[in-house]
Amino acid sequence: MTEAATIPVVPDHELLRLIGRGSSGEVWLARNAIGSCRAVKIVRKENFSRGQPFDREFAGVQKFEPVSRSHDGLVDILQVGRNDAAGYFYYVMEIADDVRIGQNLNSEEYTPRTLAWDLDQRGRLPIGECVRLGAAIASALGFLHRHGLIHRDIKPSNIIFVNGFPKLADIGLVTDLSEAGSRIGTDGFIPPEGAGSAQADIYSLGKVLYEISTGHDRNDYPALPEPLGESAEDRDLIQFNKIVLNASRADYSRRYQSAEDLLTDLLSFQFSKHNPRREKARDRLEKAISIGGLIFGFGVIITLLWRLIWILNHTP
Amino acid sequence: MSLTMTLPTEDFIPTRYSLLSRLQNRDDQDSWKDFFETYWRLIYSIALKSGLTEAEAQDAVQETVICVAKDIEKFKRDRSLGSFKGWLRNLTRWRIADQLRKREPVAAAENALSAENVDMPGLAEISDPADDALEKIWEEEWRTNLMAAAAERVKHRVREEHYQMFDLNVMRQWPASKVAEALGVNIAQVYLAKHRMLALIRKEVRLLEKQW
Repeated sequence: MTEAATIPVVPDHELLRLIGRGSSGEVWLARNAIGSCRAVKIVRKENFSRGQPFDREFAGVQKFEPVSRSHDGLVDILQVGRNDAAGYFYYVMEIADDVRIGQNLNSEEYTPRTLAWDLDQRGRLPIGECVRLGAAIASALGFLHRHGLIHRDIKPSNIIFVNGFPKLADIGLVTDLSEAGSRIGTDGFIPPEGAGSAQADIYSLGKVLYEISTGHDRNDYPALPEPLGESAEDRDLIQFNKIVLNASRADYSRRYQSAEDLLTDLLSFQFSKHNPRREKARDRLEKAISIGGLIFGFGVIITLLWRLIWILNHTP
Repeated sequence: MSLTMTLPTEDFIPTRYSLLSRLQNRDDQDSWKDFFETYWRLIYSIALKSGLTEAEAQDAVQETVICVAKDIEKFKRDRSLGSFKGWLRNLTRWRIADQLRKREPVAAAENALSAENVDMPGLAEISDPADDALEKIWEEEWRTNLMAAAAERVKHRVREEHYQMFDLNVMRQWPASKVAEALGVNIAQVYLAKHRMLALIRKEVRLLEKQW
């Protein structure tokens, strides 16, 4: 990756290495005055065709900054600043774990751990993990929406892990619920009605849950994965699939009406899946069915044998 | 046929974007996106079966769609060029040949058969023993692709549960009873979903056939 021509100045931070670049700016690995690693996003005005979206993005970050630190599922924004003379603004964030060594970062070999990276490495995630991750992000999303903000670009690469905990990141497109720009976001994660609403965020999260639970591309939705057998994991997938469908429906009137509704279903699923009493009852039922089946089969064989013997004895 | 074909959909997203940017001066980007979604699998599949690598096949898809965009108006005006199906088959064949020629520049120089320099009807008339085989493959792929493209379009217009029942029952050929059991629905719902989906797909195939 090419370093930016000029290294931006961020008070109390040393910018170590460029680690990402997007349409609106770049992300730097930085170290603060007490030696902690941080991620710094620089958003440059020159990357916008007009000034208004630049100012809008800055306003979104300003609104998000206090909200971010009040929920564990949102990436913390620690500092925001603006350099109008140089034509950029910046914000300092907590940094994602390194894929190999977590938070013990080595600036030379840092690769941020995102959900996209996990998915790439593992193909698909166990349903239990999907539920926990879904619940964490749905809770964060509900919190964001309650504060009158929407994310507009939820996708696996925008979900990072900090100390192993999933967080909603890349808040560049966060905006007021009242500012509904519809042609924004990422292909396949945008609902048919456009990206500027809380409902659209739910749809995007539904597509993320689809990708991580099936290992399929979002454009394959709603196809189920192959093979699909009768294992406990596959049974869980079928149940989880119902939540995914209710989150990702093309018809928004049939979609979850709020992130809290999605969270409620995820938590109910988690509870029923790990409810020891229910699991014991299911095990007992399965055992009873097996024993019943054996007794029935044995009875049928005995009856047939008895009938055969009777026929043989009564045949002249 | 499977709707979740093993073809690399995700890999094709950059291809589609770069293609659309090359078509920037053409009107109606959405229509070309739609065209790409409908026909890329067909062209790609034929290209692979003709011996191209995945990268070459992707290039062949791009170049074929560019040619269609360039000449579609001419094709619409001149019905002597035959059916859209036959026209697209020829364009595909020539772009595949271009890719093969790129591998062997010397052989390519000896082979004067350049699609750019030859009138389309003339080339279409050239008979080759391989043509019959290609024709057969093309027919099969055309039918399969049209069904898949129609199902893909219908997918977004039906209840997701209906699509899943149809996919498992028809595309993956699971018995209806197994689908019902797996999805926790009754068997009548599986048959109903299958019936509705097939009716919609047939209608969509008819529309696709009439499109050009």
